[in-house]
Formats: sequence, C-alpha cells, structure tokens
Amino acid sequence: MKPFNYLTPATVEEAVSLFGQHSETAKYIAGGTDVIVKLKDGWMEPDYLISLKKIEELSELRKNENTGDLTIGATVTHATLEKSIMIQKEYPIIYDAVSNIGSLQVRNVGTIGGNLMNAVPSADGAVPMIALDGVALIQGPGGERSVEVKDLFIEPYKTVLKPGEILKKITIPAPAPRTGSAYIKFGRRAAMELPLIGIGVLLSLDADLETCARARIVLGVAGPTPMRAYEAEKLLTGKKITEDLLRQAGEKAADESKVRDSVRGSAWHRKEMIRVQVRRMGLKCLEMIKRN
Amino acid sequence: MSEYNVVGKRIPKIDAAQKAMGRAEYIQDVKLPGMLYGKILYSKHAHARITRMDLSKALALSGVYTILTGEDVPEKMRMGFYKDNPPLKKDKVFSFRDEVAAVAAKTPEIAKKALELIEIDYEVLPGIFDPEKAMEKDSPLVHENTKSNVLKLPWKLHYGDVDKAEKEAAFVVEGRFTTTWVTHCCMGTSGAVASFDAADNLTIYTNTQIPSLAQKDFLEALKAMGLKNKRARVIKPIIGGGFGSKLDTYAYEHIAILLAHKCRKPVKIVFDRPEEFIATSTRQPTVTHIKQGCDKNGKLLFRDIRMVLDNGAHTSWGATTPSVMMMPITSLYRVDNVRYDAKCVYTNNTYSQAMRGYGNPQATFAIESNIDMLAEKAGIDPIEFRRINRNHPGDVTPQNFKITTCGLDLCLDAVEKELRKSGTKEKGVGIGVASLIHVGGGARIYKSDGCGVIIKMDDYGKASVFTGGTDMGQGLDNITAQIVAEELGLLVEDVHVVHTDTDVCPWDVGAHASRSTFVAGNAALGAAKKIKAQLLELGSKELKTTPDSLMLKDRLIFVPGDPEKSMAIDKLLRKIHFSPGGTMLVSDHFFDPINENMGPDYKGNMSMTYTFGVHGVKVRVDEETGKVEVLEYVAAHDVGQAINPLLLEGQVYGGVVMGLGYALSEEVMHVNGKNMNPNFRDYKLFTAKDAVKIIAPVIQTPDKDGPFGAKGIGEPGCVPTAPAIANAIYDAVGVRITTLPITPEKVLAALMEKKKNH
Repeated sequence: MKPFNYLTPATVEEAVSLFGQHSETAKYIAGGTDVIVKLKDGWMEPDYLISLKKIEELSELRKNENTGDLTIGATVTHATLEKSIMIQKEYPIIYDAVSNIGSLQVRNVGTIGGNLMNAVPSADGAVPMIALDGVALIQGPGGERSVEVKDLFIEPYKTVLKPGEILKKITIPAPAPRTGSAYIKFGRRAAMELPLIGIGVLLSLDADLETCARARIVLGVAGPTPMRAYEAEKLLTGKKITEDLLRQAGEKAADESKVRDSVRGSAWHRKEMIRVQVRRMGLKCLEMIKRN
Repeated sequence: MSEYNVVGKRIPKIDAAQKAMGRAEYIQDVKLPGMLYGKILYSKHAHARITRMDLSKALALSGVYTILTGEDVPEKMRMGFYKDNPPLKKDKVFSFRDEVAAVAAKTPEIAKKALELIEIDYEVLPGIFDPEKAMEKDSPLVHENTKSNVLKLPWKLHYGDVDKAEKEAAFVVEGRFTTTWVTHCCMGTSGAVASFDAADNLTIYTNTQIPSLAQKDFLEALKAMGLKNKRARVIKPIIGGGFGSKLDTYAYEHIAILLAHKCRKPVKIVFDRPEEFIATSTRQPTVTHIKQGCDKNGKLLFRDIRMVLDNGAHTSWGATTPSVMMMPITSLYRVDNVRYDAKCVYTNNTYSQAMRGYGNPQATFAIESNIDMLAEKAGIDPIEFRRINRNHPGDVTPQNFKITTCGLDLCLDAVEKELRKSGTKEKGVGIGVASLIHVGGGARIYKSDGCGVIIKMDDYGKASVFTGGTDMGQGLDNITAQIVAEELGLLVEDVHVVHTDTDVCPWDVGAHASRSTFVAGNAALGAAKKIKAQLLELGSKELKTTPDSLMLKDRLIFVPGDPEKSMAIDKLLRKIHFSPGGTMLVSDHFFDPINENMGPDYKGNMSMTYTFGVHGVKVRVDEETGKVEVLEYVAAHDVGQAINPLLLEGQVYGGVVMGLGYALSEEVMHVNGKNMNPNFRDYKLFTAKDAVKIIAPVIQTPDKDGPFGAKGIGEPGCVPTAPAIANAIYDAVGVRITTLPITPEKVLAALMEKKKNH
C-alpha cells in the first residue's frame, strides 16, 4: 500500500476545501470498508485521504416528527441502522438490506453513504434507498444540490458526483400509510457475501387494503447500476394485488432486468430469482400491511 | 467413571489463550537481523514459451539485492513426486502458477515494485484445460518430452471377477460424478525464512507438516547447490492450519534458500492471500464413472470404477491420491469384486496436492451417492442397505486390510436415531446418510511410518517431551501432554511439548493420514513407559517396597492404601539427581506401527487399524430457488478412545464444515487455467454464520493397538459430507446432483429438467 496523508476535517466546508487543495491526489474516506480494500489492492493510490468521520452533521439519523421525513447522514453505519428500533419497525426494507451486509465487523464501520458512493451494482444499501424514494443531498465546491438516489449511479464505480462533492445525507419522505417493504439478498452463503441478485419490493395499498397505490421494485446486480423495474411497478399500480399479479410482476421485472453471466452466477438463474423473489417479497409486504 | 486421570478429559488447547490474544508467533512474525524480503513473479499465461527476459530495470531499482530466474536454479534442484519441477521455470511455462523470477529486496514494497519492472515476452502456446479432452489423440501436449498427457502411473487393480459379478447381479446402477478444485484456506498463509550461517549451514523457518522429510528435501537442495556435508535445520513457528497444504516442500521454500545464499542474508517469503489462493495446491478434481451391483437381498456384489484426475501441469504427490482412494473403493462395505482404473492427466491447470482426506472425499462422493441409487433400485432403505453390507471386526478386505475394531454398525444406529427423532416429513425436506472408512492407525506410505519421542525429566517434577510429531493447530501438543501426564501421574501443565526444531526433535514421517494421535501418541506413550519404569524402580528403593506395588498419580508416587509409603515425584527426582552417583531420567522411543506398504498389486494392510464413521443430514430444498438449507447434521465416528473429547469434537466440527463447503459452495474457479476468485469474497468458504449445529456422537471401540485405545480422527470429518448432502437432496426433491459443489443453480436446473420431463 502506498503511504498517504490522513486528514480529518471537522466540517463539510473544510473537507471540500481540503479536496480543492489536493484535488488530483485526494480521496474521501468514510468507514473504509471499500476504500481500504482498493488501497491495498493498488486500485487507487491517493496521497491524501480525507476522512469524513469527524464531521458531526454527517452522522445524523433522525426522523422529523412534523413532516415524517427520515434523514440518514452519509456516515451512519450499517450497524446503527440495523440496531435502530425505528428502522426495524418503520423501514423494514432498510433493515433487511443493511443487516446482511458483510459481517458484524464490516457493519460496525461501513457506512450507508460509502455503500452508495462505491456505486457497485451489488450495493445492498442502494436498493432500499431507491425503493423509499430517497433523495441525496450533495455538497461541493459549487454549493449544495439534490439528486434522487435512483439517479445517483452512472455505471459501476461511477456516480453523478463531481470531483470534490460529498454525499451529505439521504432524505426519505414519510412512507404512505399501509406500506410494506422487504429486501432479499440472494447469495451462496450467509455472511461476507455479495448478492448474486438483490431484490427489494415496496407496496402501499389504498384504504381498501387491496388496491396498490404505489409499487417499487428495485433490483441489485441486475444491470450495471441498481435499477427500478418500472414496467413491473406499472403492472401493479392501481390494481388489486393478488399472488398471481405479483407473479406477473416478477416475470416483467425479470424481463426488464439486464442480468448477465459471470463467474459468480449465470443470467438465467438470476432471472429466475427475480421472478420468484419479487413475488415472495411482494407477499411479505402484503403480510406486513395486514399485520399493522 | 473413567479409569483414567487425564486421558478422556475435555482439556482446552494449551495454546488457545495465546492464540486468542494474538500473542502466538506465526511465520509472519519471524524476523531475523538483516533480513531481506523475497517476492515471486508468476507466469502471465497458462502455456507459453519465454522468448525474452529483461531484468535491467528491476535490478536498477534501489533496494533490490538480486533477481533469480530459471537460469539460476541448479540442474538438480527439483520438486514434486517425479522430481521434475524446478522452483523457477526456464524457457517455458506450463500454468499460470509457474514461477518465472524471484526478487530479494530491502522491503516487501520494493520487492513488489521490482516484480513490476521485470520485462518478459511470451510466445503463447495452445493450452489444454479439460483432462478428458487432454486424453484425446490430437490434444496439445503439456510437456513436449512426453508422448501423451496421460501419466505413466498405473493406478489399476482388479480383485475377484467384476464382469462375472455384474452378470449375476439382480440390480446394477451406474453414474458419473465430478468434483472440482477446492483449497485449504489456512488462516495462516504459507511462508518461509531461509538463513545461512558463516559455514553455509541452512536454518529454515517454515510452515511445514513434514519437518523431517522437508529437511531431507532441503539437504538435497543444498547438495544440488554444490554445498556438500552441510546441515539443514528446520524450525517450525506456530502453524495456522495445515489440512495437507504443507505436506510437501514448495517453490517458495527453495527460492528463499537460493535468494538467501546468493545475498548472504536471511530472506523471508510470505504469501499474501491472493498468492495463497493462486500459488498453493488444491484438492484434485476428478471425473468418476462408477458401477455397482447387488443381489436381490441387497448384498453388494461388485464395484467398478474408472476415474480421470486433473494432474495439472506438474506431477506432485497429489498424483498418488488414487492410492488412498483405493481404500474406500476396495474396503468401504463388504465387496468381493472390485475394479479400479485411474488416470492422472496433464493439463495447463494448477497442480493439486494433499488435502484432508487425500482423495477419499472424491471417491466417497461417487461411491456413497451411487450406493443410494443402488439401494433405491433394490427397493431397500438406504440405511438398511448399508447395514446389510457393513464391515465387521475381523474382516480382511480385498485389499488385505485387516479390520480390527469397527463401529460402523453403532455409527449407523446413532445417526439413524438422531435423524428419525424429528419425524414428520414436510415437502422439500429430506434426509441422507453416507459412511466412511479411513486409516486410523498410521498409514505406511513411505518406507517408515514411525515417530520418535524423547522425554527428559527435570528437578521439579516436570517433563519435557521432544516429539517428531507436528502440531499445526489440530492439538497434538495436548494429546501428547495428556498421554505422558496419564502415564507418569502428572498434570497436563507439568508436561512441556517441543515439536519445533529438527535439531532437537527426533524423526517423524509427518502430520498426515490422521496418524499423529496414533503414531506420535504411541511414541510418547512408549517413552513415558520407560520413564515410569525408572521412577518405579528408583522409587521402590526410596520407599522400601517393590516397583510393582507402586502407583503414579497426582504428582505422587505411592503404595495405594499405605500413607507411609508416599513421596512427591519431584522430590524423588531431586533425590535421584543430587545423590552421590546421581542420575537424571531421560528416555526415548521410536514407534513404527506394524502396517504394510502396498505390494505391486496394491494389496497390503496399510494401517494398523481403521476409523469408521457415518454422517447423516436433514436438508430443506427451496424448489423455486434451488437453495439447500442444512437443518440437522449428525456425524458419528468410531474413534477407539477419545483422548480429549473436546478436541475430537473440534476435529469433527471443523471437518464437517469443511465438507459442507465442499458439498455446497466452495470452488476455485478456473477459466482457461486462470484463477478467477483468489479471494475470500468470491471463494465461498463457509462462514461462522453458515455453520450448522453438529451433533457428534463419539463411538468408543478401544483399539488394542492405539495409545489408550485411540484411533485417528483428523481427516474423517470431511470425507462423507458431500454424498450425505447429495443423498438428502435426492430424498427431499428427487433430483440427483452429481457435480460438486451443489449450488442453487445446479439444483434448480435439475428440478426444472425433471419438471420438463414429467
């Protein structure tokens, strides 16, 4: 590993300014569970690592009681989310996703912001943020701007953030009443696993507890970036949800996906998993709604 | 209550705390004054000719001491079973793993940088990666000096008359089973530090399971280097796992020796994790055609097996795994007519080596999967089928194995009882069993199967035990200490076991073949008996009694029931030492089991006793995803006598989890000879979270030849795991998976195929 200077700014402004001073040779680092691996493997060789861990405002996890908006700071760790009773109760899809990332040790230091900014197709954390219509607040040399999480990713390892910009937080609007959400990571083993395919489903029902008011079907590892299966969502929205309809949505989502063969798994099996798991996660959402 | 004081007790590993606290010193921690760091450059192609090499830029880098290539390797410095593999390849490379250059530098970083500056041009040659294709006439040759890629190693036996038995059989089944590469995944990666003294004597610190045989290899290396009559001292740091991976000497050790000699400084080579995945050896991939038949009552009549093994590009000891595969093939269950024909075939893949079970898991996967197929065809319950054909004490198998103790029936009973406890059958749930036989009383592979032990008593009632046996994490130090403490009436903490240094420890053939408890244990017991005899003799004079009226227990020597005639052992030792004409107690013992090398027909009682076991598993198969969930696991083993049940269970748990990985998830993925997953992210080793609860009934059948009745148990835990799982999957959903690992993809594909055909 090439030696580097480790900088620990206390504010976002300071961090952005430090990046400006060393722009060609600087990288931001949060939990480090991806960055350190890349440093060790020689994939990146920065002279300056700018840590975001000392910036207090980035570690905020708060629900606004008036608006119902949830704010998740970029350096909130997976473990913090996993252990939050509020997350477990009100945002089960987040819990499902973060509680199966890596291992306990990885979750203790890895952050949700880092998971998004690493921008791999398999980012477990991206799926719930997209399903929940999360909005990312970004700050850089040119000031602040907002981007919907679903629009954050360009290709593997590449986001819409410009050099020097920092992801500050994700804001999730208050979930509609009668909403259920669930995520499954399908892999070969139970820990230290990247998903072969990740499937997140969110359903909101009308007061009749049958008609679908909103559907989100989000897939990980189904293309170069985490993606929504819009056609499958459309199939459900406004209709009475049945298992058969969910099955059709699974078919549709599988068709929409851009899965491919790799040494980790073959495309046909990934498609098959989308078919099966969209239905299963959908049913799980319905159960959740009925239970509440 | 046990008749023993120390044997049979659950005594935690002596070095557990220092390991848990990070204080144990592994090869990574060894540092010598002036030490340099070595790094190895590997081939960029699976098969190619080296057309140009330019070291100038690398040599010009500050901090680089030297660079070696194939040109610098002495003609006679060769590795492997055929002694034909030089530690650095010259002119031609045969696999991605082939070593082409090595650097010694001031720091590991400089050494790594230097590797990047070495310029090599290759002329790429066509590669061959499928052993069955490599057998075809027009296949490219891996080694141009051979006529065929098939090795001239005739692994071929035929006992009885298989063809006749097949004609007579009421039921016959056949199948094709394949296994792929898996690797040991030792927590401690490979490494060595080589150092020469002023007189050119070698000291090498290395992770090895075979200190004495490694010493022999290194002496030959010195000779090849023109260093005659020099000493080679092998020192083992604490080893972070072996599992067979350290059962030979490797290129990195020879390279460290060459670099150290050239630079006149100690040189350390330690593998990082990707290198450990790429440049160490795997388990042999196999293709097995099997046919078995039985009569109408389920009596097994014949077993007919043809096998192709991927030898990789170089012939290592791995090419001898068929010799161990013969054990289950000829001797798992009673079967009179057996034929086996195995071919090892060169490819441009990595070469394989010893790994826990040494071929037995591959052979048992085919045999025990196929036994279930046969039982089904004969309409007999699979457990009952195994009962009908089980081995019995006193049997002599077709390969002339003399079965002494055999608890296979008790193992079957124990597993069946556990598996049938939670009764009702739900959809997608099934049970499966598979049995094993393995050597449990040493294994005569080399000319000697022996181990030496020296015991030295001090003035404080403590025993220092110098053993040839190797503790690589499996716990031989504990076992040795318990055996000696039991025999001498001491506590375990009174016994200090030294196994680290060939300068002080006697010869041993190595920690392999599940032999350490049996052979090194018997050696320790033999040496302790000699000390005991002296203690009783000298004690009888002190206590004015006869030696045979005395007992040793709880650090005392005494006449039972006579409180007057009692003395602390340490006091007696001091008395013996500090009296005029005094003496100190030292003993030695060399134990070589009474077992036989295989004859030209492969017959011979390889081991003094055999270990048996049965694994049973209950699985749930998700019919929509193909995912297999292990619900229950029972692993019953016939171990003779457990010297330490805690460690024994540890061996079984570890073996089973290794076996589960083999069955369900692990594979070194090669694409055209290139390792595609040299990391723990993509090499799917089971994690703690994947591990299942394992019930491990210990069947005790005290063996008259074992130390306190013990048999070996190092390897069996991973032998029948895969077929037990495959059989359970078949029971659950009716598909038979014949290739390892049994991934969700394969299960789902088979289920879809089955549906299509209905």
